[in-house]
Amino acid sequence: MTQLDDQPSGPDALAQALTQPFTPGMRDNPASLAEYDDEVAGPAPVSLPDPRTREFVEEWRNASYNCFSSGHKFCREVCPVMQVTRNESWTPTAFHANVVAMEKGELEIADVAADYVNCTQCGACELRCPNTLFTGDFYRFRTRTVDVVKAVRALAVDSGIHQPQWQTWNRRTDERTHEPVLGETDISQEHVRDWADGLDLPIGGETILFVDCEAAFYRTAVPRAVAQILQQAGVEFGLMGEQWCCGGPAAEMGYVDQAKRFARHNLDNWRATGTRRVLVLDPHDYISFTEDYPKYFGEEFDIEVVLVVELVADLIREGRLTPSVPVERTITYHDPCRLNKRKGIWQQPREVLRSIPGLTFHDVDRVTQWSYCSGGGGGLPVEKPELTAAISANRIEKAKTLEVDTLVSACPWSERPLSEAGDGEDIDVVDIHEILAQSLGIEVGGSRGEVGDRRSGCGGGSCGGAGGCGGGEGSAS
Amino acid sequence: MSDDSRLRPYRYAEQTSPPEPQRVSDVAVTTFEHVFEVDPRLMERHVLQQQFPNWDSLRIMSSRHDHLDWMHAHFADSVVTGSELLAEIEAEEDA
Repeated sequence: MTQLDDQPSGPDALAQALTQPFTPGMRDNPASLAEYDDEVAGPAPVSLPDPRTREFVEEWRNASYNCFSSGHKFCREVCPVMQVTRNESWTPTAFHANVVAMEKGELEIADVAADYVNCTQCGACELRCPNTLFTGDFYRFRTRTVDVVKAVRALAVDSGIHQPQWQTWNRRTDERTHEPVLGETDISQEHVRDWADGLDLPIGGETILFVDCEAAFYRTAVPRAVAQILQQAGVEFGLMGEQWCCGGPAAEMGYVDQAKRFARHNLDNWRATGTRRVLVLDPHDYISFTEDYPKYFGEEFDIEVVLVVELVADLIREGRLTPSVPVERTITYHDPCRLNKRKGIWQQPREVLRSIPGLTFHDVDRVTQWSYCSGGGGGLPVEKPELTAAISANRIEKAKTLEVDTLVSACPWSERPLSEAGDGEDIDVVDIHEILAQSLGIEVGGSRGEVGDRRSGCGGGSCGGAGGCGGGEGSAS
Repeated sequence: MSDDSRLRPYRYAEQTSPPEPQRVSDVAVTTFEHVFEVDPRLMERHVLQQQFPNWDSLRIMSSRHDHLDWMHAHFADSVVTGSELLAEIEAEEDA
């Protein structure tokens, strides 16, 4: 590498230097290139009358051109919505192209807002995109479909364009401080800890367990399994003083102010009870706490966040948990999108499952599963339950080819639609914590949801062993 | 396949503090093992870099390795290194 100190300068030198291809920033570039004032040529920007749209396209134009100008389209076949609809307007490519068209003044938010419902925010497209997979970490610039979809939804809400079911869902969430998950339980603050009846868990403390709305009010066997597993391992933890919804679903559907308000409440409540560490069993909450909250609060967010399935794998490795009761099932594992694709967490759940005696495990690798999804995320089941059902059926179909009797998931939000789809194919859907608890000899109690309880044969409480409770204490709610 | 199965609690301060970059060429640096990044001074105009917590860089790097392994497993009868190919060409030229 040679840096020439006596290189010629001036206009002639620059013209000479520009006759050869060069890489900006190279130390042995001709010194005259430092004087080169490069420009970006292009059409004059269109003046957009709406200030919200102007601000939006300014923020998201580069992310959108990153997709639009490359157009690889590897995203299409890993997209769960594309797989079941083949609708070109609902592809990641279209979601970015629309932003480009908005920047050019060719589209307005009202023209496209409804298209953006059709996304589970699973992250498959942005991970499979070469602009992420092959260059994203190098340039610190990757495909951002999930963020773009969330931003478009937020622009729609701010512009007064609402999707009817999302609007109702978020209004009710705001009223009740929890998502209005469908089920028998009354959704309210006084019932949010009902799932823990009889477990003798303290309130507050340095470490607390955060339970998502679906698990707290519907699939209560999951938090009961988690709590009792941690108790068996001697992990000290409590429950939140006044837990509200994490706010993630509101952020996903575009109701950002509400999401921030809920996040503020939770952070303040953790502070009030001296909490330093939050244990999270739900992948959606994990996304909220490790992506949304840091954006909202910056350095103020000094809470340690621990994913329970990672902790449990660690406890098994350390010998603090030893699954010993054989579970005679033939299973496959469903990689939750928010763990596998969006966080790269796929090893620990497999480690947990391989520690359970009796299981016959037909695994499907994590890369193949980039194109798998339950359809249960991103608000899709609220606004378009028929699409969620089609995506779940697609996932169950893949499990069926493996001739398994059980699909194990690690995400409560995936388990309701997968259970409903699996019922018709005689495939039971079990949470990884439920099945681990069974192998640890724990009588879980609680409910595995309508389908799970019916398949367990006791009409509630997931008793009879098949569901992982083994005890039949009845529904926690 | 990548092997990074240890417990990794999320801590904001850690995630926003990547290792001190080491220069590997005129235009690239390295931070974590196997993570190479463009010299940030080359992305100060036109297209600015995004906020990248450490977990995201590591996730992409690991996913890339997993994906390449997956491609080889599914579509390659055999995998040869570049150095083997070069040696083969040189051997042919010498012959």
